[in-house]
Amino acid sequence: MSPLTFNIIRQSTQLSARRGTVVMSPVAATGQSSTSEKDSVIDASAKRVMETPGCFMYSVKGSVPHFTPDTLRLQGFGGVNVSIEHILQDHQPAGLEKWPFTLSKFLNFQDFILLCDIRDSSRYSKVPYNSDRYVSMMTHQGVRQLTLEEYLKVVRVYEPDIVAAFADSISDLDHTELGKLIGPEPGAKRVKKSVDRSLKWLDQILKERQGFDTIAEERAKEEEAKMNRKKNKQHQGTKDNGAVEQIEKETKALDLDSTKAVQAKPTLKPWTGVSVFAHVVGAQNEQERIRSAQETAKRQEVDGFIIDTNTLLGSKDEVLRLLKVSIDHLPKEKPRLVYGMQAPEDVLKSIALGADLFDTTYPYQLTEDGKASLYNFGANSTVSSLINKESNSSSKRWINLWDDEHQDKFVPLLEGCECYACKGGRHTRAYINHLLRAHEMLATVLLMSHNMYQYSKFFANVRQSIQDGTFEQYSTSFIETFGTEPERTGEVHPAQLILEAALSKRNRLDGEGDEDTEAINAAAIAAELKKKEKEQMRQARREKLKEEGLRIQAEKRRLQSEQRQEKEVVSQMP
Amino acid sequence: MKSALTWEVLAKCSTTKARASILTLPHGPVNTPVFMPVGTQGTLKGITPDQIEGLGCQIMLNNTYHLGLRPGQELLDVCGGAHVFQGWNRNLLTDSGGFQMVSLLKLAEITEQGVQFESPHDGSLMLLTPEHSMSLQNSIGADIMMQLDDVVSSLTTGPRVEEAMWRSIRWLDRCIKAHKKPESQNLFAIIQGGLDPELRKKCIEEMVKRDTPGYAIGGLSGGEEKDKFWRVVTLCTDLMPRTKPIYCMGVGYAEDLVVCVALGVDMFDCVFPTRTARFGNALTATGTLCLRQAKFKDDFRPIEEGCDCITCKSYTRAYLYTVVTKETVGCHLISIHNTAYQLRLMRQVGDSIIEDRFPQFIHKFFKDLFVEKSAYPEWAVNALRSVNIDLLKE
Repeated sequence: MSPLTFNIIRQSTQLSARRGTVVMSPVAATGQSSTSEKDSVIDASAKRVMETPGCFMYSVKGSVPHFTPDTLRLQGFGGVNVSIEHILQDHQPAGLEKWPFTLSKFLNFQDFILLCDIRDSSRYSKVPYNSDRYVSMMTHQGVRQLTLEEYLKVVRVYEPDIVAAFADSISDLDHTELGKLIGPEPGAKRVKKSVDRSLKWLDQILKERQGFDTIAEERAKEEEAKMNRKKNKQHQGTKDNGAVEQIEKETKALDLDSTKAVQAKPTLKPWTGVSVFAHVVGAQNEQERIRSAQETAKRQEVDGFIIDTNTLLGSKDEVLRLLKVSIDHLPKEKPRLVYGMQAPEDVLKSIALGADLFDTTYPYQLTEDGKASLYNFGANSTVSSLINKESNSSSKRWINLWDDEHQDKFVPLLEGCECYACKGGRHTRAYINHLLRAHEMLATVLLMSHNMYQYSKFFANVRQSIQDGTFEQYSTSFIETFGTEPERTGEVHPAQLILEAALSKRNRLDGEGDEDTEAINAAAIAAELKKKEKEQMRQARREKLKEEGLRIQAEKRRLQSEQRQEKEVVSQMP
Repeated sequence: MKSALTWEVLAKCSTTKARASILTLPHGPVNTPVFMPVGTQGTLKGITPDQIEGLGCQIMLNNTYHLGLRPGQELLDVCGGAHVFQGWNRNLLTDSGGFQMVSLLKLAEITEQGVQFESPHDGSLMLLTPEHSMSLQNSIGADIMMQLDDVVSSLTTGPRVEEAMWRSIRWLDRCIKAHKKPESQNLFAIIQGGLDPELRKKCIEEMVKRDTPGYAIGGLSGGEEKDKFWRVVTLCTDLMPRTKPIYCMGVGYAEDLVVCVALGVDMFDCVFPTRTARFGNALTATGTLCLRQAKFKDDFRPIEEGCDCITCKSYTRAYLYTVVTKETVGCHLISIHNTAYQLRLMRQVGDSIIEDRFPQFIHKFFKDLFVEKSAYPEWAVNALRSVNIDLLKE
């Protein structure tokens, strides 16, 4: 019933690497009419394919950074990754019933395969701990607790091609400013809970996918249990063994595990166009990782698996080991999406373990740092043939366009590169250096075009090498030639510091800036008011959740005390 | 003076002073009336050259002072000029650096020799003389160069205005003498004289004698009263030769463009559309939309129905609300739309002149934008009345 099919075209013999395709078949019209289809620049009816190993394009707030729709389609990627924490507005999901779109249409991504997860896949960011009822996420305006019910509402409206199941990744650990995990290592009980929770949610989601309204079920059961308890109070004191059975039934009813429920028939629309990828968790605990993988794999309707290595502590080698533990216990015939393995050599190592899908965090981060990549994978992977002789950059894998040495280099970022920026030598290193120093946005547009193109070509060459049986050989020579990615320090380039100082000075002096300052002030005031409103809304929501949580606890306590009372009554019976 | 352009008037409006023409420059033809977007530092707010071309833009602006600082004359000479530097194959116009005298006044010292600027970046001093400006502009290689003029704010009064006017004439002569490439670059003179009709008359008289390929009306758009503004514009267009293009610098808002075309102006430039885009403001025929406002969060229409720019073809106001001022893409998308809007407006104006229905176009334009006749700006009504259009009558 799933619109997603994964085909393995070639399996590497010595390694677990494989080459394949993820295909989304067009689904019959869901009945959501579009308003301006005729003027749309894209063809929404085509079958969409992602070749693997391949990438989803990382997006922020629903846009792939720095790309307008036309430049976006010059890149060679077939998928986009959107996170709910970026895109869900503070007042939503209220009002989403009126949405005339799917998420794809809203974001103008209909010709891509759209994957929707809850949290940003590019890095770890700490939020308060999750509970049985919600997952915490970091939105533009701050922390928000997303309940399973809200998530289900959102998925029903968004209808992404692939949705990541609501899962409990342990997300309240400390990290550096750049998103590198510090710790402390979560305890065994916490890890076990995260595996159990994720499975429970997954089961509920799979039922919802078939059209069962599990939320309504839960509510109905709660109501029933309430009524039964009232009736039971009336029976209290009678010598009736049936009372014990009654109590047991209620206990079962109040248990919110819906897998035991027997539902008559589905009442909601099934998710025909939506596939489900499940998160495989387990933190550092090998046993739990195996359990999570095996249990998740048992759920046949799951279309693929996600392993988020951003949440794993330890060295790269340690993380790879944990990744292997998970993948080794997953079925071969379904795709594996890995977050957090971004730099080219990490991608290669992950592919060797059996990973199929990644995202484009790496080119994005390079771009934000002002860097242009120079690496290459395959037969021609040598440094000397790629780097312009004039460059004396110490790094072989990228150049930093902030560096003074590029000021007079009227050559493309990478000789022979066919990306938008380099093609035909139209945009030079000197020009991009100028744009960066002039604080102009075209700098990042050009760098992003280049870095994304290089990453896409890298994956294409990897796929070819798996096909040809040269993957292992080229992986080794790649790592020999280009080494490992130096760790991001977050240090600002000295040239950038000078620019920022000059800008702040200019904004104080420049007459041209007056209109800007007024507008900025007005915007700041408006933003403050908005922020206050939203904080109030969030506070109200938090309180509501708290109340509900407390109410449920109180119910349980009351039930337990009643049970005790009943037991006393029963034990006193002859 | 030698000219590197040809100017052909295709049609004249039978009611107003407007005309539609083709200005052919070294890097291609330009249909006028034309609005020229401003890419100050050799780039237009994150929009790629292909996208700018795709919007139908035939000429855009670069700024001499800024490019002179960064990347600097030497580098421009090495690579062969600003066209090559920024990958733009169509026309460029460079402002001489004169306007910075007003905008960066606190950092500028003006003498007969030239203007001494203190760089806001590193405090270094640059002496911008007519000769140096010409030299810089020759290196930049723009198809149209502006003379270095002594610019005073339009709010200034007193003898300074007249001093600046005479100096601008003297500087024009020095510019003409120093200009090394008249066969491939067109030097435009800039009429000064503040808001004083007598000074303006004198300036035009003198500058016309120098017979430059085109003329600009300078020293306006600095916050002066609109009712004074239009009177200076129309005085200038009356006195300037009708056989050459006329450029009103620093204009502007949509209604300003339409009125000035009726008064006889052919070329315009303004940072407004791209600057306001940065703050999330989108321009439409029925007014400006501030897309930062919460009221757009469930508005599922494109910015402007019928607009064929990539933004309107791809996204709704509701989506733009989420990215505007927060992601760079938000700025690109609105900049593209606003530039498309301004260029389309000029195309529509030109078409209506060619088909001799410009007055009807003006009526419809004002109605769409202001709705109620009582809201029509008084200065615009007065200005149009002077060219036989009564906005208040149907």
